[in-house]
Amino acid sequence: MRLYAGICGSFPRPPELRRAINEFREGKIDRVEFEERYKASFKRVVRLQEDNGLNLLTSGLLLWDDLLRPFAENLDGIRLGRLLRFFDNNFYYRCPVIVDQIRWTRPITLDEVRGLSEAASRAVKAVVPGPYTFLKLSEDRFYGSKDKLADDVVQALRQEIESLSDLADFIQLDEPSLVDPELGEDDRRWGVELVNALLEAVGVSRDKLLIATYFNLDSRSYSILLEVRAGLHLDLSSTKNADHILMEEGYSGDLLSLGVIDSRSIFPEDPGDIAGRVEKLLEKVSAKALAISTSSWLDYIPFEDAVEKLKTLGEVLRRLEAGSR
Amino acid sequence: MSYELPRKLVTTVVGSYPYFPEALKALQLRKRGERGREYEELVRRAIARAVEDYLSAGVDVVSDGEQRREDMAVFFAEELRGFRLSGLVRIFDNVYYRRPVIADRVGWDHEIIVEDFRYAARLSKGRPVKVTLTGPYTMYTWSLDRYYGDMRKAMLDLAEALSREIKALVEAGARYIQVDEPALSTRPRKEDVILAGEALGIMVGKLSNVKRIMHVCYGKLERLFPEVLDFPIDQLDLEMKNSNYALLELLKEYSFDKELGLGVIDVHSERVESVDEIMEGIGLGLEILPPEKIYVKPDCGLKRLSRETALAKLRNMVEAARRAREELA
Ligand SMILES: [Zn+2]
Repeated sequence: MRLYAGICGSFPRPPELRRAINEFREGKIDRVEFEERYKASFKRVVRLQEDNGLNLLTSGLLLWDDLLRPFAENLDGIRLGRLLRFFDNNFYYRCPVIVDQIRWTRPITLDEVRGLSEAASRAVKAVVPGPYTFLKLSEDRFYGSKDKLADDVVQALRQEIESLSDLADFIQLDEPSLVDPELGEDDRRWGVELVNALLEAVGVSRDKLLIATYFNLDSRSYSILLEVRAGLHLDLSSTKNADHILMEEGYSGDLLSLGVIDSRSIFPEDPGDIAGRVEKLLEKVSAKALAISTSSWLDYIPFEDAVEKLKTLGEVLRRLEAGSR
Repeated sequence: MSYELPRKLVTTVVGSYPYFPEALKALQLRKRGERGREYEELVRRAIARAVEDYLSAGVDVVSDGEQRREDMAVFFAEELRGFRLSGLVRIFDNVYYRRPVIADRVGWDHEIIVEDFRYAARLSKGRPVKVTLTGPYTMYTWSLDRYYGDMRKAMLDLAEALSREIKALVEAGARYIQVDEPALSTRPRKEDVILAGEALGIMVGKLSNVKRIMHVCYGKLERLFPEVLDFPIDQLDLEMKNSNYALLELLKEYSFDKELGLGVIDVHSERVESVDEIMEGIGLGLEILPPEKIYVKPDCGLKRLSRETALAKLRNMVEAARRAREELA
């Protein structure tokens, strides 16, 4: 079993990047200067991950205003709508409003992932929104048919994923909507089918794809999730009995990412306790590649607390590696 | 000075009012840590102007306009023991704010809004002044917890701390105590609702001769039922206009018989509701409750509106309640 440690998705913007974005948007600095300052922040975040011993790196998604934004801004047929609450967080995303046929015309995150693979000395993971969450969080004013819209979203995401496949060791499709406790069973099954349709269509090896679910895990949704034909990321921090569910139902597949570090809390976490939890889980679950991770994106806590999370994650990895020796 | 409340369809507000320039200046001083005489004087002038607007609109039960508070959670976090402020956390796009951090055991060691209550009451020409406090569930969920790691323990301490403030308010003469729990409607789990009720018990459970109110707004308010029916409160203050009075059906289903704060004004729109439109809303409320149990008020605090709009909306609201009373008589 290969063991990885890496964050689930985003890392909070460093203070200097927050400032640079404001200054760029206010026209105080030009694009060249902005790019330079962005690159410096980007390198800082990659280095933070490496310095803390993580071996599965993300770009930190530092320019993403929310999970859907780069896609809402760069796919044809979408304009930005109102701010809506992102699940149960004090965080808001701009609702993509679909006003025309959705078309992928050029790579959207390719430069970012290329930058990451060049800067990183370890394995890297790219992130894209999954098709179901994309649909759930958007507003359709064009298609009027769920299936037709779904087809075009799947095609658009397929092309994006294929554009990344040479550069990323893993590609993660974020699907928090799949485990939304509000969701009915039929919708959840439809969602899993949609994800599988994309996995079927995409010309990328399945063992490098994973579906990330977060903010919830319950036994009903987990049993449906097991039908996803790719790896899984699970949030083991948002619901109290998540570890238990995983132990009961088990897992065996190529790739499993365990969100054991709580990305929405700043309550101190003990690396020893977490390593112990993971070891216990490993009695019941197995995967060719296992990642330990933050439960979700790190947008919900301040930068300095997110740095603490990296330290904890690195320390858990060291303990697990020491334990298996 | 005494003021006689109407027996039916009392008009009131949820709490906040658009900031007067004096309040904005005071908030800036507060941010810089300058809480001296100038700051206090500015806050007082702002409160006086809010009360003046309420009186000129004819609202029966008024508030201090929450002119001292920029953010309802941060304000109490700054005043209670155990809190500090976090580093910047993103709320959307590139917009960040500081969240309260529970860094130590939460407690109460000084009066927080008692003086503002006293001051507003002095100016309200006998009209009752409602006091508003941010509830434990909202305080907890809008904060980052570094100390408890246990929602229940934290909330019970928060409730205990706030109960001390409430006690001081009641001693100062407050008779309308409102606990604001906007977070309770976002995505409450059953156990959250029950816990919020337990916390209310600590805060207002033993009070008598006091109107105990809980305000909740926007979201899945239906999730609070049926537990909320057993909360130790006299009045449930709800947003109704914004959701087109859909909740009334639910209240009917549960044979709701507490008092109802009936939101008849949309606080997110600058459009001023007409008197007829507001009367229609009141009429819908009257289909399920007698007029003695209905308080007519905006959906939520008015602070996001312009002052002109807020005042115009309140005027029409008061007029609508007056005409509705006339029709009943
Ligand atoms: Zn409200």
